[in-house]
Amino acid sequence: MYGKKASELVKECVSAEPGQLTTFNNDLFAQVIEECNGHLLHLQPLMRKIQEHENKLKDKRRSEDEMAISEDERRKSEAEKTVIQTAMKSDQFGALIHHLSLVRNKRCLMAYVYNRAEVIKSLGWVVDCVLPEEIEEKLSSSEKEYFKNHAATLQSYTSELDLDLTVDMVPPKDPYIKVRVLDDIGEIVLSDQVANLTRHAMLFLRRTDAEQYISQGLMEELAG
Amino acid sequence: MEPGAGESSATDDYESLISTTDSELLKRAWRNEKAAPEILKFEAALVQRSRQQIQLMEDTVEEFAKNGVDPLTVSLYQMDLDRTLFLLRSYLRTRLQKIEKYVLHIQKTAELWNRLSKQEQKFAVRCAGDLTQHLEQTVLSKLPDQYQSHLKQSGASEGDDMVPEPKLDIYIICRSKKFLGAFQLDDSGEEPVNIEADDLYALPYKSIKPLVESGQIDLV
Repeated sequence: MYGKKASELVKECVSAEPGQLTTFNNDLFAQVIEECNGHLLHLQPLMRKIQEHENKLKDKRRSEDEMAISEDERRKSEAEKTVIQTAMKSDQFGALIHHLSLVRNKRCLMAYVYNRAEVIKSLGWVVDCVLPEEIEEKLSSSEKEYFKNHAATLQSYTSELDLDLTVDMVPPKDPYIKVRVLDDIGEIVLSDQVANLTRHAMLFLRRTDAEQYISQGLMEELAG
Repeated sequence: MEPGAGESSATDDYESLISTTDSELLKRAWRNEKAAPEILKFEAALVQRSRQQIQLMEDTVEEFAKNGVDPLTVSLYQMDLDRTLFLLRSYLRTRLQKIEKYVLHIQKTAELWNRLSKQEQKFAVRCAGDLTQHLEQTVLSKLPDQYQSHLKQSGASEGDDMVPEPKLDIYIICRSKKFLGAFQLDDSGEEPVNIEADDLYALPYKSIKPLVESGQIDLV
């Protein structure tokens, strides 16, 4: 059934939770591409045959106009034309089906890649440059490259503006927040203090400094 | 003049003064940008002034902290500074995310392209390049010749039908500051809507686009 595998790909994309990625399904992808190539193999000869039919029809019409032919011959050539036209029609329908299936497969493939790319883009806002391992193993090599390129593009914009856009994701309630450190980070120079971030330390940090670590999962905010 | 009328004109003056302060303008621009489905005009002058004021505030706060001014005052100034910074960052961030989402469409439409700042245009070019390269590598290079365009479905397509576009006919909530009178929503011959001052309306974005651009209506 044409297009079934492509719709499976799309369903996979949709059934994942929003914002989560599944492993890039290389097999299914390759199968859909093969199907597309198969369509092309069918399409090309069909298009050629259609072209031939058209040429034959044109020649016939031209010869009818140019030469004076008798009534009998006219009727015979009309019958021949009808035969050619029916054959052409069936070829045209076949070609149409192959073309439409190809286009549908293309749409499904693009949708799959595009939606994954959107998720990767949103990742670029949360994480700086290094992807956590669990996510990295789900991406194809081209997607990893895309992530790097996108992060670099964001970086170039931020450095031109001189304003960090990845902090301040929620409206600020307090300038300082209380955080507990979850992993050993060591001594870090922050905007107004030098802090020693050892495991289980509770500190008062500037919100903008802490956000980076919170989004990486190395700290948690203590409310209240 | 009676004192009542004098007072009300004084309040009006005060309100109009308040509404043109930079922080109000920034808040308005931020709210409009968040609510609108497509990208709006970049307020270059406003952003420039805001950044200068933020710089000034930062210096002031540093000085206060050094001179040992009452810490409550310092933290109040700091809060104000943080909030303005948040507005500015969120404004730029919302715009950037809109560009990311619709980068191919924005590149094609001259009107939208002109609404971007210079740096945003550079960003958009790079973003589009990244996306196109990724799509080509993964999908398009493996497809047959006629089907390799990332803009058109196939060589036989008439327009660029693979470019996602923002939905302009979603309903948004808006409010006008002044009485605008009868406003024709669209060409379908429906009755015009009376737009009063300070009333909330839920209208399709497409119909009030020109009003938003001229600043007569605010999105909420």
